[in-house]
Amino acid sequence: MSGFLTAALVLAAGLFAVGLFGLVARRGVLFQIIALEIMLTGPALAFVAAGAHHGDPAGQGMFVFVLVLAASEVALGLALYLRLARHADAGDSDTIRELRR
Amino acid sequence: MLTPFLALLLVPAPAMGAFLLLGLGPAELNRRAVQTVALVGAVLPAVVMLPLGAYCLMGTCDGIQPIFDLTVGDAVVALALKLDPLSAIVGVTVTLIGACVIGYSIDYMAKAEVPDLRRYFALMNLFLASMLCMVLAGDSIVLFLGWELMGLCSFFLIAYHVTSSRAIAAGRKAFVITRVADAFLLAALLLLFLEAGNVRLDALIPAGIAADELRQGLIAALILAGALGKSAQLPFHTWLPSAMAGPTPVSALLHSATMVAAGAFLLARFAPLMQAVPLVMALTAVLGAATALFGAASAVFQKDVKRLLAYSSISQIGFMLLALGLGEPEVAIAHFVVHAIFKSLLFLSAGDITQIARGTTDISAMRGALWSRPLAFVAFAAGAASLAGIPLVTAGWFSKEAILAAAWLAGPFGVVLWLVAMTAAVLTATYAFRPVFTGLTRIGRPRPSLGGIFTNLPIALLAVATFAVAPLVEPIMEFLGGAAPHPPHAVELVGAAAPFLGIALAAALTFVPGLSLRVARARRMRSGIRIDGIYQVIIVQPFVKMVRWLTGQRGGIADPVGSIPVLVAQRLTAAAIRPLAHDPLDRGWMGLGAGMVRAWGAGRRIQSGRVRDYALALALGLALLLLIAWGTTWR
Repeated sequence: MSGFLTAALVLAAGLFAVGLFGLVARRGVLFQIIALEIMLTGPALAFVAAGAHHGDPAGQGMFVFVLVLAASEVALGLALYLRLARHADAGDSDTIRELRR
Repeated sequence: MLTPFLALLLVPAPAMGAFLLLGLGPAELNRRAVQTVALVGAVLPAVVMLPLGAYCLMGTCDGIQPIFDLTVGDAVVALALKLDPLSAIVGVTVTLIGACVIGYSIDYMAKAEVPDLRRYFALMNLFLASMLCMVLAGDSIVLFLGWELMGLCSFFLIAYHVTSSRAIAAGRKAFVITRVADAFLLAALLLLFLEAGNVRLDALIPAGIAADELRQGLIAALILAGALGKSAQLPFHTWLPSAMAGPTPVSALLHSATMVAAGAFLLARFAPLMQAVPLVMALTAVLGAATALFGAASAVFQKDVKRLLAYSSISQIGFMLLALGLGEPEVAIAHFVVHAIFKSLLFLSAGDITQIARGTTDISAMRGALWSRPLAFVAFAAGAASLAGIPLVTAGWFSKEAILAAAWLAGPFGVVLWLVAMTAAVLTATYAFRPVFTGLTRIGRPRPSLGGIFTNLPIALLAVATFAVAPLVEPIMEFLGGAAPHPPHAVELVGAAAPFLGIALAAALTFVPGLSLRVARARRMRSGIRIDGIYQVIIVQPFVKMVRWLTGQRGGIADPVGSIPVLVAQRLTAAAIRPLAHDPLDRGWMGLGAGMVRAWGAGRRIQSGRVRDYALALALGLALLLLIAWGTTWR
């Protein structure tokens, strides 16, 4: 395994872990959406690195997929955020727990 | 297919029909109707049987009328009626005696209430029908059915006086003892069926003879045990003297043509099979001779006419068994016919004499009978003469002489049996003539009276028959395929002298006061050397005790068959289930339920409703899955 690939994969895992940490530690819904985006970049980077390593264009194809996924996710997430903000305090997701009842 | 043997089906049918009409029919019948139905049901079998007997005499006497066949795998259940010389002779005898006895009952039972009368006649007709079924049976199933039905009917008829606990006990005793013997017969028939795979008698008997020695011996011994029980032979004889609790015509039918005589018929039917096992044959002969002597000796000491006649039946059937054991079934059946005639005659005439003596059946009730009831008394004397075997005139002499001759001709072992049987023959004449001599004494100024036509006609017919059959005894034996055995003349002369010796003894016992007092005091002999009492102590009482114990000393209805499983189940629950029932098992089970509720309470805490918690759980789950996936690739 080349040093480049290792570094890229470690960076990808780090990005994913940072995103996850952001998702779990932050309370603001908007920040959590941003953290999700960061989480998505981790696997996307891993695809690109793996594709480059094997000389396979499918890795880049998967990256385009992830981009599309991220875009649609943001679109849906922001719409939900706006909707949610009208009802409750969007600054603290912990208070939104009506489903528990 | 229409054959003359189709008429065989019609022989038991009228009696069975009369039973169905009287016993199960819903219609109300008055006294006259009940009597008519009963009489028609009893007479028609004789009307059908007599031409069949004549047809049989003309030559073609080997016919089977199938009823229906059922094939199960390899086995064939083929019910059928059968006409052969044996069933023809016995069938004719049974139908005639049955008609006479049931005809006689019409007068004898005239005072009974209509429902009682109906029950009585229904059962008498069923009794007759079942004996006919057994006699004419061509297969073991019809044979056993008739055999069992007879036992049932005898129970109901002996216990006819339902208000008397003695009668019920006597009926129960008869039923239980014959039931024990029936079990032996059933076992024998089933073993034969296993050998043959067919129920037809024509197949069973050869199959039994072809069986290996052990099975053959077992089957023969079981058949003998069945016959001993039904025929009230030693050691099963105790039920017969008690069976006197029933009305006299019941005894007449039970002792002469049906039930008791059925054992002898059974042995005659299976004679070829029995003859293949010499040991069982010897046992039959020895038990027959012993029973003949025992019955005759006990009869001499009886005070009651009916009990005297009961011991007489035991003794006479002992003679038949002796002949069967000696390998002379033809002689035994000839004696069966003769015995049926004179025994029913004795019972009917004694019943007539004692009935006018206000119900007591003591011998003293016979006193003066010659003057007060002449016809019945003369008939009784005729029966007694035949029973004693007065030479040359009575039928009894010819058949009994043939049995004695067969014993004499059977070698040294036979001579011993001959001596025993001869002693029994002397005693037979003694007990037969004791009531006759009692009847001769004149008391007061008696007024001769006659019963009705239904009383006198059967008695007169039977009285004539006792003499009329005398020249027919040897032809009967020849018809059955045997020959009358003839011993040396000296032996025959001794046989002829025996009845007269017995009669002299009877006269001495009746008219010499010292001797008659002795007889009156001989309690031990009167109770049949107390065998009944011994059985009571060694069998009945322990059994009753065991049943009491089984029912938990509660008394009530004893039912060992029902109580043993219940007892076992109770013990089992006490030992295995009760310790667990209330504490550990129960608590453990309920604890599981309560634990589930607690687990649910704990489990629902995870469901916080927070997005972050869920995200963390998802991540941890994913991490765990990855860890497992990694672990599986790790060698």
